[in-house]
Amino acid sequence: MRLFRHEFRLLLRQRLTVGALALLALLTVAALATGMAEIARQRGAIAAIPAAQAEDIGAVAEYVDRTKDAGSAAYYSFHPTWDAPAPLAFAALGMRDVAPFIVRVRALGIEAQIYDGDMFNPELALPGRFDFAFVLVFLAPLFVIALFHDLVSAEREAGRQRMLEALPNGGRALWRRRTVLRLLLLWAVIGVPFAVAAAMAGVAFGQVLIVVGLVAAYLFFWVALAALVGRLRWSSVANAATLAAAWLVLVLIVPTLGNVAINGAIPVNQGAEIAMAQREAVNGAWDVPRDATMRRFYARHPIWADSAPLGPAFHYKWYLAFHQNGDESVADAVRAYRDGLDRRDAGGRALSRLLPPIGVQALLMRMARTDLRAQLAYQDRIRAYHERLRSFYYGYLFRDRPFGKADFDRAPRFADTPGG
Amino acid sequence: MTHAETVMPPTPDPILIEDLMLAYGAQRVLDGLSLRVPAGSITALLGGNGAGKSTTLSALLGFTRTQSGTIAVCGIDPAADPDGARRRIAYLPENVALYEHLTAVENADYLLALSGERQGRGAITDALAAAGLQERAWDQRLGGFSKGMRQKVAIAVALLRRVPVLLLDEPTSGLDPRATADFNGLLVQVRARGTAVLMVTHDLLSAADVADRIAFLEAGRVAHEVKASGPDRFDVRALHARFQTGSARIPA
Repeated sequence: MRLFRHEFRLLLRQRLTVGALALLALLTVAALATGMAEIARQRGAIAAIPAAQAEDIGAVAEYVDRTKDAGSAAYYSFHPTWDAPAPLAFAALGMRDVAPFIVRVRALGIEAQIYDGDMFNPELALPGRFDFAFVLVFLAPLFVIALFHDLVSAEREAGRQRMLEALPNGGRALWRRRTVLRLLLLWAVIGVPFAVAAAMAGVAFGQVLIVVGLVAAYLFFWVALAALVGRLRWSSVANAATLAAAWLVLVLIVPTLGNVAINGAIPVNQGAEIAMAQREAVNGAWDVPRDATMRRFYARHPIWADSAPLGPAFHYKWYLAFHQNGDESVADAVRAYRDGLDRRDAGGRALSRLLPPIGVQALLMRMARTDLRAQLAYQDRIRAYHERLRSFYYGYLFRDRPFGKADFDRAPRFADTPGG
Repeated sequence: MTHAETVMPPTPDPILIEDLMLAYGAQRVLDGLSLRVPAGSITALLGGNGAGKSTTLSALLGFTRTQSGTIAVCGIDPAADPDGARRRIAYLPENVALYEHLTAVENADYLLALSGERQGRGAITDALAAAGLQERAWDQRLGGFSKGMRQKVAIAVALLRRVPVLLLDEPTSGLDPRATADFNGLLVQVRARGTAVLMVTHDLLSAADVADRIAFLEAGRVAHEVKASGPDRFDVRALHARFQTGSARIPA
């Protein structure tokens, strides 16, 4: 312990080391604050939904109560869905930065409503948002390099190595002590602010332990790499250049090339193309004979086939039927798109097992439920809810039941049960 | 005067080297080196570049493994038990580079800790004073210290450690005559405490001034060893001639 105290004092006298540790602590705190502010903003937006929804529905309900028209209710009323952030989301914002976390849906065609944005493998993309995961995965290795590249070579270049190694507690024991001390300090300046933020955010203790363990393991990977380069007995400058190149390759180049390779190997159409195709099918349906539209719809949904025949006037059940036909016309494209995303995600996970930077980012995003799988799970929840919504309105439209203000209260409500 | 004629240790010597061999491929670095440094004595090891002086120090410190022969520090083989040997050795490299952002006292404290020693400030400052470092320098950072001042700090650590063996690598190179004289005075103090001092040097005059024996190393072996005797200690002129010419015999 006494030797550690001496090493600690020695370290504290090195301005560059102290400056580096202070900067890393500052960046960590700033990243945590940014992440927490963003998640607080998202929680605030979600918390504001009920009031806004009540206002929306109130306006529609008055009109619907007068007309008793379930079709108008289905057409004009938007129903909110949301993806509540997990407690750990502040640490790795992931796709919450780019994918919608609130989607308001109507009982019309769902595909065009869902594919307003596109999905990708965010853990393979370039840095992205400034959050805790960014600081850990992208910046922390640079600080490891700063503190470890000259652990031994600086002593050699200063002419002290031989004298230190000639002392009974010098040599390997000395390098081990210095390594452990630096590693502990780096771990502390990242881990302690995270633990405080996690406690404030109500993250489960087990998850906090996993993350701080992950931080230690990731830092250790870079320390081991620095030690490996140090064994080559190159100069401090050569060590720093080699480690910086390793950082560039492992953190930026390989993930980017991996992303390009996976995307090239697994071509996936844009989600917007599905939305466009669905909209074209829906728009084209105005020119399709109404009987043909209904026959196609009833063939797929015989439960509603005993509905009264269409009269000459406009009827929302025809309108909703061709919307659903439109959805079904792009079903193969949707399956292919989803399958492609899943395969890309699997490719990204495979790469994450080989590359620690991607692995750490992917694991953090998984734990924070901000990755592609979480986003796809949210889409699944939207679809399931939309299915219930359709069934609810179809019950009025295809049975010609009147729809009043009170019926709005019976409309299915989205209940967020995070999964994925 | 030969090694066999001049060195006959009465007691087990802190530094004992016998018939030491080390070769890198066809190049013999140590070729049957034999050397003894008794307790309370100073031996200067002189020789040209590549004669094996630094390799000898490396072997004593356990940094270099030799291929055959005997090498022992207080009876401990440094190759087999380097930590055990190093606990008995204080080593001063040619350029004593300490930590510039620590004070003299802090440097000494740190080096003592690395040696497994614990000494209070009083003992450290006493040792610094004994080593000749002026009081006003004790709490100064080493940034502006001269080589001589740094050596004094390192010697103070050696004094505090009370080790039986002191190894010095070119201790007076770069020192002015006054600092050299100061340093030699320190070595005399160290010797008086019973320490066996082995000093690798090119500085013949300094060696002649302070050493009890001077050994000439050539091609990895001690070609000659001369013991101080009489009021003049050494025939410096003869030693100088020997050192300059590298001839096989010392003029009578």
